[in-house]
Amino acid sequence: MALLKGTLDVLVLKALSWGPLHGFEITRWLEARADGQLIIEDAALLQALHRLEERGLLKAEWGVTENNRRARYYALTPAGRTKLKREMESVLQSVAALTGILAVRTPSQGGAR
Amino acid sequence: MSERGVRAGVRRLFRLALHRPDWAADEADAELESVLQERVDFLVSGGMAPDAARAEALGRLGDSIHGARARLQHSAERRERHLMLSEWLDDLLTDGRYALRSLRRSPAVATAAILTLALAIGANTAIFSAVNAVMIRPLPFQQPDRLVALWEKNPDFHWYQEDAAPANYIDWQEQVSAFADVAAYPSFPGTVTLTGSGAPRLLPAQVVTGNFFEVLGIRPFLGRTLRPSETWSTGGPSAAVLSYRCWRDVFGADRGLVGRTVQLDGQSVEVAGVLPERFAYPGLDVDVWQAVGWDPTARTQVWFRRAHFVRTVARLKPGATAESANAAFQAVVTRLEHDYPATNTHMGAGLTPLHDFLIGSTRLPLLVMFGSVAVLLLIACANVGNLLLVRAAGREREAALRLALGAGRGRLVRMAFAESLVLATLGGAAGVALGGWGTRILVAMQPPGMLPVQDLSMNWGVLAYAVAGTALSALLFGIAPAVWMGRRIPADALHEEGRTASGSLRSGRLGDAILVCQVALAIALTLGAGLLVRSYLVLQGVAPGFESQGVLAVRIVLPGIRFDSTRKVLSFYDELEARARALPGVEAAALVSQVPLGPPSWSSQFSIAGHPTPDQGTQAIHRELSREYHKVMRVPLLRGRFITDADRREAPYVVLINETLARTYFQGENPIGQRVAFDRIPDSMSTWRTIIGVVADERQASLAESPQPEFVAPYSQEARSAMTLLVRTRGDPATLGPAVRQIVAQLDPGLAISSMQTMDEVRMASLARDRFLTALLLSFALVGVVLGLVGVYGVVAQLARRRTREMGIRIALGARVGQVQWIVVRHGVVVTLLGVALGVGAALATTGALRTLLYHVAPTDPATFVLVPLLALVTSALASWLPAIRVSRADPSDVLRSD
Repeated sequence: MALLKGTLDVLVLKALSWGPLHGFEITRWLEARADGQLIIEDAALLQALHRLEERGLLKAEWGVTENNRRARYYALTPAGRTKLKREMESVLQSVAALTGILAVRTPSQGGAR
Repeated sequence: MSERGVRAGVRRLFRLALHRPDWAADEADAELESVLQERVDFLVSGGMAPDAARAEALGRLGDSIHGARARLQHSAERRERHLMLSEWLDDLLTDGRYALRSLRRSPAVATAAILTLALAIGANTAIFSAVNAVMIRPLPFQQPDRLVALWEKNPDFHWYQEDAAPANYIDWQEQVSAFADVAAYPSFPGTVTLTGSGAPRLLPAQVVTGNFFEVLGIRPFLGRTLRPSETWSTGGPSAAVLSYRCWRDVFGADRGLVGRTVQLDGQSVEVAGVLPERFAYPGLDVDVWQAVGWDPTARTQVWFRRAHFVRTVARLKPGATAESANAAFQAVVTRLEHDYPATNTHMGAGLTPLHDFLIGSTRLPLLVMFGSVAVLLLIACANVGNLLLVRAAGREREAALRLALGAGRGRLVRMAFAESLVLATLGGAAGVALGGWGTRILVAMQPPGMLPVQDLSMNWGVLAYAVAGTALSALLFGIAPAVWMGRRIPADALHEEGRTASGSLRSGRLGDAILVCQVALAIALTLGAGLLVRSYLVLQGVAPGFESQGVLAVRIVLPGIRFDSTRKVLSFYDELEARARALPGVEAAALVSQVPLGPPSWSSQFSIAGHPTPDQGTQAIHRELSREYHKVMRVPLLRGRFITDADRREAPYVVLINETLARTYFQGENPIGQRVAFDRIPDSMSTWRTIIGVVADERQASLAESPQPEFVAPYSQEARSAMTLLVRTRGDPATLGPAVRQIVAQLDPGLAISSMQTMDEVRMASLARDRFLTALLLSFALVGVVLGLVGVYGVVAQLARRRTREMGIRIALGARVGQVQWIVVRHGVVVTLLGVALGVGAALATTGALRTLLYHVAPTDPATFVLVPLLALVTSALASWLPAIRVSRADPSDVLRSD
């Protein structure tokens, strides 16, 4: 399943709300929670991280992973936390609206079934 | 990094966040590689073969490895640039906010610093406005750098950059091919009387050659400018071009004015056009511009080449340089010298860029003012620097604590600078406001004609100067506290029990160094001002040769169109003089063509009957006056007789000479009865005049110039249409004004009075420039001295505070109060002595620049160089004594118990 346009940012923020993670950890966290239904391209993810950091929603520092490898760790800033809250509400609202619309049964299709 | 702490098993080696765009690309590559490797590790740990895992990881990139790398490098660079900027702004805001808060905690220091800076920057802004308007701003003409002024010189008369003879000017214009065109204008300012609408109104006027505006490249705002053909009079109706100001203020900005005729000096003149608003010619503040309208027959007459009265403006031909033009010019000048030996012997000529020529004598005073005001700013910076240093030293514990808590030294330095910057910004803003105000004061207070430019408005250049000055001062006075903050050692400050510490002494030494510089600057400035004051006092004491008190001078110019005969002119002035003499309280009344110390008089060459023609030219001023002149001005007769009523027009021509002329040209001879002609080589046309007396010298052009040889002739034998009525009264001469005005109005209601001044005013006005410059420099120096004394007081008081305890011990051990006080005072005196030595050295090296501004005072005048340092020492000793008294009054037991 491809990602709904514009939702990657909010998903990244959500993933980081539990604590600092490096790029691959974020992918793994998201893919684990999506039951393998979600595919995130690494380049797009890293680009999103750069963008979020530029806007001051994330801060980053170099650290060492469990495999003793250098990695860039990202964490939410207070601004990022606020942003996550607002974005989550708006995404959930629009998903609810979409779900509501798509749940309406279409008569002709219903007849064919 | 995170409130939730370090995750289990993760060892973090945090490095400082480095926001550097050039590192971002490497960082992005490293991050991409790390993500790929993490995925490979993950896949391999799940059982996949390493090669396959690598391929899978690359596949999950969503892009080729190169594409991804490029994208990420780009986004990382963008991020770093952005973050660097916001970080910087963030820190700036933080530092600024902190600086504001900490300054609010010491409002006295902040106010003193801001006021000092505002004054200094304000004065700088005002003076720089003048410098900018006069010296930097290009002339408001087309390609002004292609314009040069042509002038004549003659070693025989000590002429340099003199006015040219019109016939020479015309030959230059026609024969020097390197000049595209040359315009000229007579060097004497004129006026015209506007009548026909309300009371007669006197307007400043100037005649110019017809091509004047063309040479400058000025297009009219309305109508046309003058035409080249109008240089020569054709007998037709004359035209005038008005300044924008005149059109707006006198004629109510009437667009229909062009083409209409107005009455100027009783003559109908067509308004040909209006000049643009921004047109201004330095030194000519003129409302009515008319063509010279020379008589075409004048070209061949000898006076046209003998009388030197025009200034010229030449435009270089495209491609011509000043050097090549000058070479071509000199060839023509040499030819003219050869062709016209009677008039052009030894007559050289030269050219100067027009801008330099026009600002001429204003340059040095302006530069002196500018230099002084810059020194004043330095003094102010030293003051503020010391103020902040004292404050920084008082906060050493705070600084040490910050350092101990992990603040970087650089951060402390920045904080100190932020304070300076905040102070400078506030002071600078107030200074620019003050400067705008100061500029207006400068324009209002400047003696007439001192600044050849009227428009001193503030512009971007001035603003940029003010901002640069502000930033520079912040840097200057910020260095001391910043250096101080940067080198504090945290340990000793934290361990200190008392206030006295080695650190304080070190801050004291830095403060002393600043103070020495400050005193040196103030001394140098005061020495410069002192020289000017000395010179002014000498100048003011010069006896002018006449008695100015009790004399009113009223200038009246008769328009030639109505007073077209000598008879009419003479009868008007005779009647005017008679009626003025009849006024109650009047002792004597006379007429003179030019009052002394006023505008320059005519001068000409002359010859003495029976004397050989000298190789070097003879040059004498000549004035025309009526019988009672010497009685009004109380100028004594040395030999012979004064002019009498018998010296009428029909009588033999007579002339008086002054002492200098008698001494210069009649050594040992009796001049009385000898005859002179105003021609270098007299011919059959020459008019011979008999010398009837010798009068004492009067100063002529200015008090500073020694008297020149001068002839005075009865005005009835040499009528002039412009004369000044002089009236001596027993009371206040100014009270005669209304009565004289009334007489003039009764005699001719169409006449406007050109000027009305007492001779005391004329005398003061002739010193106006010197007085203005002296007063300005003196006030700068006074401010500098006050700042210097405040600096001495501040540093000594700081020292006294630090050593109160020591003094208490000394007194407790039996030291006398005087001894203790001397320890404190000595410090102030020693620092001042060092400053004085440095300042005197600096002044000796620089006051030479004032040489031409000084009258009979050497740039190393011993009196000034002794008096000023002496005063400085005495006042600084007094300033040091105040804190000393306080120290010695302290009760030893209190002092010892404190801390």
